[in-house]
Amino acid sequence: MKYSREFIGITGFLLVLGTLYFGLIQTGPAKYFTAPNAQKLFYLHVPSGLITYLAFLMVVGGSAVYLYNKSDYADRLAKCSTELGIVFGFMSLASGTFWMKAEWGGDIVSRFLTDMRLATTLAMWLLYIGYFVYRNQPENSIVKNNAAILGLSGMLMVPLSYLSSRFLRSHHPVIVGTEDQGSLDPSLRFGLYMGLFGFLLIFIFLFNTRMKIEKMEREMLKLKMENG
Amino acid sequence: MRIFSLLLVILLLSSNVTAECREKECMAKEYKYQENDGSWHTFYYDNIFNIGTNWYIIFDYPFGKNDDTISFEFSTGLGKVHVYDPDKETDSVSFSGSSFTEETFNLELFVNITGSDEIEGAFVLEIHVNKPSAEDMMYLWGGMTVFWIAIGAYTLFLSNRLRELSNKSGLKDGKRKKN
Repeated sequence: MKYSREFIGITGFLLVLGTLYFGLIQTGPAKYFTAPNAQKLFYLHVPSGLITYLAFLMVVGGSAVYLYNKSDYADRLAKCSTELGIVFGFMSLASGTFWMKAEWGGDIVSRFLTDMRLATTLAMWLLYIGYFVYRNQPENSIVKNNAAILGLSGMLMVPLSYLSSRFLRSHHPVIVGTEDQGSLDPSLRFGLYMGLFGFLLIFIFLFNTRMKIEKMEREMLKLKMENG
Repeated sequence: MRIFSLLLVILLLSSNVTAECREKECMAKEYKYQENDGSWHTFYYDNIFNIGTNWYIIFDYPFGKNDDTISFEFSTGLGKVHVYDPDKETDSVSFSGSSFTEETFNLELFVNITGSDEIEGAFVLEIHVNKPSAEDMMYLWGGMTVFWIAIGAYTLFLSNRLRELSNKSGLKDGKRKKN
């Protein structure tokens, strides 16, 4: 289908708009929160965090496959996923910072240094910033190999960040995969899933576009080399 | 990339330490209570409990009070018990800013001073629980803006790059144009 990518992107965008309408207008200020309005960030903060994990896991997968069989597609996948992981990670970290400031107050820097969920997530994000910066140089097999090895570090960083609020010192709430997930108010759950699905579609749209660009760039480079 | 770095730095620098005043001078109300033996207790507190901000009650008591305890209990059932430190003459008790979620007027706070076995004093203070105007709206919109800026900027970047590449190379979807 000619416009399938655009269709996915627009559907995702509409779903996110729907989530905003639902969260901001339909449900009203949240109860039992110090910052009942800032709580609305929940509907997009959680999905952006989960999509960040997905993107970085794709980097791990792509890197592993590249190291195994030197597949150009796997290398492209890892490179493009990193960029998207950085964008969604930025959204998750920044929105979380705003919410944290409203709900918990206090000093943001010290919270990032002392709360393990925040610290490990920021460390994971900075690691992939390092990956991104490293790849911003003329590509050859050594760069690709080293990048793939760096990309594999997500194998440790993603679970560490995800599990940190369960097993390490952290104030960050834990919902997914716990009893609290089942006890989430149905309206909260509906908004959360709508936001998650919306962001997932936007992610697919952006990922496809980025992969297409990467393919074109490599094709151009190949043509240039062929023509001397 | 530069925009992301800039935004991150701004976020980090915009943080600040907010400290609540725990000094007697900051308290709007003062209440004195005299025990039967003539000794005085003075309580300093704010008669407005702002939801989201910790609430303190500071009290002066006669030096050398051993074994005495003082309890504070709101009519909602929320309470705290404090044992006098014989080496001090002033102490305080705090209640978290999230102790209440709804606005309440004339909320009673029962204060009981207990000696070794018997109640040495009991009285009631009244405060109001205030729900401050929604200042967190600023944080909500700040957080929401992050999503739109990030997705918008990245989509724009990809779209410009795609157009640029298509124009430059005569390639479409990574394939040569057919003549």
